[in-house]
Amino acid sequence: MSPALFQTALYASLALCSLGLVWRVSAWFRVRIGPDARTVALSQRVAALLRGGALALFSRRVFQLAGAVFLDLLLQRRLFANEKLRWLGHLLILTGFTLLLLMHALAAIVTAKLFQGYQPTLDPYLFLRNLSGAMVITGVGLLLFGRWRRQTGLPQARRPMDMAFVALLGFVLVSGFLLEAHKIASPRAFYRMSDQFIGSTDAGRLTPLRAVWASEFGVAFDDLKLPIDPRLLEQGRELHRSACASCHTKPVSAFVSYPMARVLAPVTDLLDTGRADAWLLYLHVFACFLGLAVLPFTLMFHLVAVPISLLVNAAAPNRDFSLAGRASRRALALDACVRCGICDLHCSVAPLARYLGNLGLLPAHKLQATAALAGGRLLGCEDVALRAADGAFLCTDCGRCTAHCPVGLDLEDLWEAGRGDLAAAGLPSPAQWVQAHPALAWAESLERGPAEHVDSGPDDLLAPLSADRRSFSRCVQCQTCTNVCPVVAHSMDSNHGIDLTPQKVMNLLRLGLRDLTLGSRMVWDCATCYQCQENCPAGVRVADIMCELRALGVRRLGAVRSLRESS
Amino acid sequence: MKYALFLGCKIPSALPAYEASSRAVLAHFGVTLVDLEFNCCGYPARNFNRYAFAAAAARNLALAERAGLDILTPCMCCFGTLRHAIRFLGEDAELRSRVSEALAAEGYAWSGKTEVEHLLTVLARKIGVDSLAAAVRSPRTGLRVAAQYGCHALRPGNVTRFDNPMAPTMFETLIRAAGATPVDWPRRLDCCGDPLHQANTPLSGRMTRAKIADALESGAEVICTACPHCHLRFDAVQAGSSDASIRTLLYTQLLGLAMGLPADFLGL
Repeated sequence: MSPALFQTALYASLALCSLGLVWRVSAWFRVRIGPDARTVALSQRVAALLRGGALALFSRRVFQLAGAVFLDLLLQRRLFANEKLRWLGHLLILTGFTLLLLMHALAAIVTAKLFQGYQPTLDPYLFLRNLSGAMVITGVGLLLFGRWRRQTGLPQARRPMDMAFVALLGFVLVSGFLLEAHKIASPRAFYRMSDQFIGSTDAGRLTPLRAVWASEFGVAFDDLKLPIDPRLLEQGRELHRSACASCHTKPVSAFVSYPMARVLAPVTDLLDTGRADAWLLYLHVFACFLGLAVLPFTLMFHLVAVPISLLVNAAAPNRDFSLAGRASRRALALDACVRCGICDLHCSVAPLARYLGNLGLLPAHKLQATAALAGGRLLGCEDVALRAADGAFLCTDCGRCTAHCPVGLDLEDLWEAGRGDLAAAGLPSPAQWVQAHPALAWAESLERGPAEHVDSGPDDLLAPLSADRRSFSRCVQCQTCTNVCPVVAHSMDSNHGIDLTPQKVMNLLRLGLRDLTLGSRMVWDCATCYQCQENCPAGVRVADIMCELRALGVRRLGAVRSLRESS
Repeated sequence: MKYALFLGCKIPSALPAYEASSRAVLAHFGVTLVDLEFNCCGYPARNFNRYAFAAAAARNLALAERAGLDILTPCMCCFGTLRHAIRFLGEDAELRSRVSEALAAEGYAWSGKTEVEHLLTVLARKIGVDSLAAAVRSPRTGLRVAAQYGCHALRPGNVTRFDNPMAPTMFETLIRAAGATPVDWPRRLDCCGDPLHQANTPLSGRMTRAKIADALESGAEVICTACPHCHLRFDAVQAGSSDASIRTLLYTQLLGLAMGLPADFLGL
């Protein structure tokens, strides 16, 4: 590869990477999540960072930061506490990748400077390079296995770009090993070296040396028959010691590439003719440059976001931050999340996600929806937005996602901000959107609405009591329910009027006018205190029916909701 | 005695003192608590989808059954919800079969064995008021306490089987066991307002404040709670108000203090 091409590609990808980094990091100050974050200017957020950073660095907290770097960042103790297998995989990738970067990609400026006589073909470098590559591959394998093994029955959150990047990483590693394997086996590479260091490419003259390289270094000469005459080998070793040995140890220590070279031996001639060494090098190097150029837009951006997030965590808990600081932390959280899905495993409403068939309840998916909403991409897709809203409002704020998050994100703060954004975008909780219109208006919409919207399945499972006359026909309209209802009692003055009373709701059911109750204030303001049901002399399960009417309302009114909003 | 401890969603994140004091008190009476990773009791889904609610609740019951344990919960909403689910599953064969299918998909099954107890029912009925009284070292003599019954534990009485839903006495008896004096207050069986907090904040606030005013008028010094929702609602409404306020105390804190347990064990 020509040095000019190499350098141009390197600098181009570095420039793209830097621009991408600037853009992605600037998002931590630009992206606004939560209605309160809209009140903070970009300059305030930058100022909050500078102030907070200075305070943390020039105080005793700096020890906390150092502790966080060691325990949380390098040792990944939060991940260790969650999943040992993933922790091992992550550690293998991190160590292997760092070693490859320093010892292999940056060998000329790091390893060669630190260790005299460095040659990539000498041990321990040859062995270490294979070890590092094997560590990364094993680590990726462990992470994928860990993901597969979970089998919760619910799809895990992922971005297409992340999987593409993992594939690219795999390609870099495999092409690297293939290149090394081919160069071990390649007679062409042998002759190039002999020309350079012995000044000859004459096969006959080089036969003793070739014998040594064929039997001990794995070069696949097709005209040499093994085993080789020991005297010839002795002769070759002499030449090897003087011309080759200072730069080459036996490649057996390349425990990945060497066996690959043995496998490739039968086709090495073919690969040599096809100049495999050149195109494998191009593929390997350009895959690396491609990865570097797109790095800020892939999973690997967590290499930047996670350390910063962990340091910010160590500096102070989120609740001690100013609004400007919290606003930035929310945006940072979107990037620091690696979609590992550990939150989903512990989410207390995850079973509801399964039973409702709505992934919008799961934290890792919710984070993606929050990111999409902040980026203005969610509302374009009505179905997804509605499901995200359902999920957001069924969250119980139990805090288990935050407690288990291996990168220590304050997810509850993010969920609360996200709910605010959803409400501001016209997707508030059901109690709120239903009450935006009077009960009568909803009933009219149901009457006008297309039948397929309104009658979406039988009510028996969802609302068996309100669908069965026997459960309310005993009502004699005695008003006991109304008299004991605290909601009615607290809504008696003209400012806080209620539209129906519990007894009137029962009466509408008796008259077969159930749709008139679905959007009523009484139904949605019911406190589920069960006074009505407990006191009903006829044994009508008033409060249970109220619950059913709300569930029915969510479904039936939800079906005509978009018609109402657009009319 | 051994129970699976069902903390629910609110206690670990918002009221850890309730967990700490419950553990401290129950440990004293030899109750072993087992921690299982339960899911949400199902309450939030009740207003959304009856099947999802029943399935979520049943999954918890199945988790406890697999461990061969009954459930003890300090939360009145979780208690009521789980008891409701047992009723719905018992009376609706179609619901039961769909829920069983959903549980089976995850390898769970619920045969109906699991019992659900509230912290107070265990203290009053399983351990017994006499044993509680016998453990009291420094009775809270003279402390006038208003018992906050909590709707979801109390009603409907035929589902929750907590106490007489019209004229309950259990909480007052427990308060007396701690040496304190229960106060009769007209609104003692009223809703705390918490279920409406998000749906209708002003209405919820009026309900909470009416209870606080009533407790004060009735001469109470403390409102004693046994539910994180009631407890946190009283605290939240009082935190944002300049009106006369009343102290809230969890029953496990009251009893723990009377038993002479160190305050920091009780989250105080």
